[in-house]
Amino acid sequence: MAKRKREYVRLRGDSGQHRRILATAAVLGILGFVPVALRLYDLMVGQYDYYSQLALRNQTRTTTVTADRGTIYDRNMNILACSQSVENVYLDPHELKQSKADLEAISQKLGQILDLDPAWLLEQAKDTTKRYKQAAARISEETAAEIRAYINENQISGIHLEPNSQRFYPYGTLAAQVIGFTNASNTGSEGVEAAYNSFLEGSAGRVITTKGNNEMDMPFSYERYVSSVQGCDVIMTIDATVQACLEKEMETAIARYDVQNGAFGMVMDVNTGEILAMATLGSYDPNSYLEIADPLAAAEVERLRTAYLLQPQGSEAYAEGLAAYQEALTAARLKQWRNRVISDGYEPGSTFKVMTMAAALDCGAIDLNTDFYCGGSEQIPGRAQRLHCWRSAGHGAEKTPQALQNSCNIAFAHIALKLGGEMFYEYVQRFGILEKTGIDLAGESKGVFFDKSLITDTDKWGTASLTSGSFGQTFKLTPLQLVRGIASVVNGGYLLEPYIVSEVVDAEGNTVLKQEPTVIRRTIREETSLTMRKLIASVVEEGTAKNAKVAGFSIGGKTGTSEKIDVFDENGQRVQDKIVSFVGIAPMDDPKYIVLVALDTPSRSTGIYISGGVMAAPTVGAVMADILPYLGVEQTFSPDEAAGRVVVLEDYAGMTQKDAEKALKAAGITGRFVGDGETVTGQIPAAGQSVPGDSEVLLYLGVPPEEGTTEVPDFTGMDRQTAKDAAEAAGLYILVAGNDEIAPEVVVTAQSLAPGSEVALGTTVRLEFADTMAAD
Amino acid sequence: MASERTLYAKEDRRRFSAGQSVDFPFLLLVLLLLTVGLVMLYSASYAQSEYDTGYAISTRYLQKQAVCAALGLAAMWAMSRIDPKFWLKMAWPLYGVSIVLLLSVLVFGESVNGARRWINIAGLQFQPSEVAKFTMILLFARLTKGFGTQAKEFRYGVLGFGGALMGILVPLALEKHLSAIMLMGMVAVVMMFVAGTSPKWLLAGAGAAVLFVLVYITFMGYAGDRVSAWLHPEEDPGDTGYQILQSLYAIGSGGLFGLGLGKSRQKYLYLPFQYNDYIFAIACEELGLVGALLIAALFAALILRGYWIALRAKDRFSTVLAAGLVTLIAVQVLLNLGVVTNLLPSTGIALPFFSYGGTALAVNLGEMGIVLAISRQRDQPKEQEGQL
Repeated sequence: MAKRKREYVRLRGDSGQHRRILATAAVLGILGFVPVALRLYDLMVGQYDYYSQLALRNQTRTTTVTADRGTIYDRNMNILACSQSVENVYLDPHELKQSKADLEAISQKLGQILDLDPAWLLEQAKDTTKRYKQAAARISEETAAEIRAYINENQISGIHLEPNSQRFYPYGTLAAQVIGFTNASNTGSEGVEAAYNSFLEGSAGRVITTKGNNEMDMPFSYERYVSSVQGCDVIMTIDATVQACLEKEMETAIARYDVQNGAFGMVMDVNTGEILAMATLGSYDPNSYLEIADPLAAAEVERLRTAYLLQPQGSEAYAEGLAAYQEALTAARLKQWRNRVISDGYEPGSTFKVMTMAAALDCGAIDLNTDFYCGGSEQIPGRAQRLHCWRSAGHGAEKTPQALQNSCNIAFAHIALKLGGEMFYEYVQRFGILEKTGIDLAGESKGVFFDKSLITDTDKWGTASLTSGSFGQTFKLTPLQLVRGIASVVNGGYLLEPYIVSEVVDAEGNTVLKQEPTVIRRTIREETSLTMRKLIASVVEEGTAKNAKVAGFSIGGKTGTSEKIDVFDENGQRVQDKIVSFVGIAPMDDPKYIVLVALDTPSRSTGIYISGGVMAAPTVGAVMADILPYLGVEQTFSPDEAAGRVVVLEDYAGMTQKDAEKALKAAGITGRFVGDGETVTGQIPAAGQSVPGDSEVLLYLGVPPEEGTTEVPDFTGMDRQTAKDAAEAAGLYILVAGNDEIAPEVVVTAQSLAPGSEVALGTTVRLEFADTMAAD
Repeated sequence: MASERTLYAKEDRRRFSAGQSVDFPFLLLVLLLLTVGLVMLYSASYAQSEYDTGYAISTRYLQKQAVCAALGLAAMWAMSRIDPKFWLKMAWPLYGVSIVLLLSVLVFGESVNGARRWINIAGLQFQPSEVAKFTMILLFARLTKGFGTQAKEFRYGVLGFGGALMGILVPLALEKHLSAIMLMGMVAVVMMFVAGTSPKWLLAGAGAAVLFVLVYITFMGYAGDRVSAWLHPEEDPGDTGYQILQSLYAIGSGGLFGLGLGKSRQKYLYLPFQYNDYIFAIACEELGLVGALLIAALFAALILRGYWIALRAKDRFSTVLAAGLVTLIAVQVLLNLGVVTNLLPSTGIALPFFSYGGTALAVNLGEMGIVLAISRQRDQPKEQEGQL
């Protein structure tokens, strides 16, 4: 021990034990650590960037701060679309698993609150490969509060709520295709919502924080904040009132004429190109844009749905049925969302004659005194088929104004021949028929016009396309293209770029974008435009469009009835479906507004003659009667129009007979006095009632007015005089609307009070007169 | 020499307690690892404790661990004062007791997560398998002394040790305590190697074990999942690959110097078992490569110093006992680090001195006390042992 000698435990015959221990020490104490050290170096230095990135992504939560989508206003700042705060519910299956939550109970309760299938929720909750499973989108704040209470009560981690917004359209179906809607991800689809999406949506903000699992807060975290930018507000040129009037009158027409395939129409400012109203019916409610609004289409989709559900699951019939159902559903949705005014071409028919005539007058191919003769049909050189006028008896000898008033196809074929293919094509181009209008809406298309050679090279192709084209057949344009072209005919010859949004304003109220009227080009000369105004007015005064008359306003316009050339039935036969239309302009002395209404396929079953003059013209007339006073267009009544003028009665009580007479005279009506008192004590009709301009009111002096009611007769089919007599007999006043001609074929087509209803004596009933024979 | 030996024998007891002090470097390494381990445990369990207690207490895990550390230190001190000869006598009785305990767990044990591994004695919960590990090592050392050079022979070196091993492994298998079986199997193989069992048998045994594992993986879906999660954790990041990916995120984001002590992000409930089996990942994240390598170096030093003590033990029993106890620590450390860094598939083996777990910590420290006791005799003349 004195000398410290290294001594190991030795075993006789087994001197290797210390070597084996040394070997073990080398392996477990040194070699074993080498791969660990290398691995640590690789992970922490070699792959540091990769893993720290993944770790950061793992630990950070991005909370989106939604930007409020901008509001859409009409021109009078009525709200057409706005956003409401709602919430989404989502599950974090991983977190649910980690917290060992009772998934059965949770899915039962959530299913009950959210009205969802608990089995489906359970399936979502079990998908631990995901950390985000949406359970429900856009639930109301109340429902969200209910869920929040449930989460807090039961200390559940793994159910989360996130803010979202819901678009609300206060006017429902009004201008639905024009406004559009936002899809599930709050992006604008269709209409202004889509076209101005980048302005409306703003940009969402984000809060990025490191967060522990189960939403634990970390003391050592970092946070980054990206603020959100509010969406801009969009102010449209649409006037909700005008839009509502247009849609109302179109609805009425659809019901009255049993229109099969919807209708479209619009109102535009002829001098600026601002769209005041644009409608496609049947419409849908953008608040529930996925639902099929048309009951027939909805029933068909529902039938297909129940049909495939009856098939055994997994069978071929099931798959086919499912495909058919989905196809029908998609088609029905796309159809109701479609803005036909800008997206669909149609054959304009006779309404296009306005442009043909303007072109011919403008270039001097014809003048007002050019003579035409219509014999009902004529063999036009270069045209294989004999050309028939819509009136088989023919219009006889006509001059230029009559050609338009009568909408005579034969006269227009000759105008086209005089004009020549080159010039016709040139003017078509000027009127913007070959190009999109450039309106600020998504989904605009342009029509399909002839190839240039088809109408210019008459030696090769004949004159069929040229002559048919002159009266608006065998080619297509969009309703907007037509309206814009005709607007240029009456506004002095300026082709405008139509627009539907006048201004975009940011959240601070700064104007981001302002639209001004844009003239694209001149179409015709000023003088031609002035001439055309007179001619167009005469179509309503004397021609096929008398049914569009509105008392007190000078209205012009052109009717159109076009066959749908490309619609075939199941046997390949051309379907004789018609689109009847009317383009009206008012006031004619200084045109301000242009209104188009087109009704797609009125039913033959109503017995009403299918034509633009009978159906579309009175509809436009009704629209004009509604909107022109509202838009502040001055009314002037000729003596003939007195019956169409509306006088709102004052309260004459307390006036002497002399004063009352004076007041009545000022209002343009007459009075009959009953009794011999000093002052007026009663009157029929009562104060505030509207009466026609040529009415006689009863004023009672000291005697009580007759009390009583009367039954409203059925005026339908009566001509003016018969109707007046019937009204007098019943003690009613009548207000004449529509065609004010006194002629046997101009009869009542509608009345404001239902036949057989009991009303007070002296009530005014509004009768709509129309020439039921007016063609084209 | 003979007289001298007799003299020592007579004076053994007196000389032991009054003899050399314990090996200071080894003691220092144990205390260092324990200290670093407790600090890391506090840091790693902090978030979990707050979460469990509704943000009221952050030291819930630290408290329990610290109590067990104190108990363990007391045990270490006591053990370091017991002459290793005592253990020679106790080897068989303790072995018997631990088998009884292991079997009784199957009957009276408390089920935690579907496995019965815990037993409650006088309100104290502990794992008999922790004791069984020690008694198996003890018995192996006892057998080595008994077998002598005969360890080379099949019936001693293989059947003898094998039988002793099976006495422990069978109850563990009934408990389905796979990680303990694997750990004990590895420790047993190393001890048999040290004892002198022919390496060819050991290689054959290891080969058989590997074959068994392969068959097991092929036919038992659960273990197969573990292996695929090991090889491709990114393929199922939400479920089977979650644990290991979260561990790699923690380690990888540590970088060279770490996020700083206490500043781990992964411990905020991202990394499950962050305060026991995966505590080293949190250490990597907070202390960086430098800190992680320092911890690994402390363990390596402890292991090397432990074998150094084994080599200098007074007799063969002490040598094999010390080597066995150090091997137990070494295998656990290497398996744990291997799993945490995804070098090995997940096994469920804790990191000594770091991972949360009172029994294991106390037992580990007690075992270190025995190594320290053996180290007291490092400079004494060695007993030359022949036959039994």
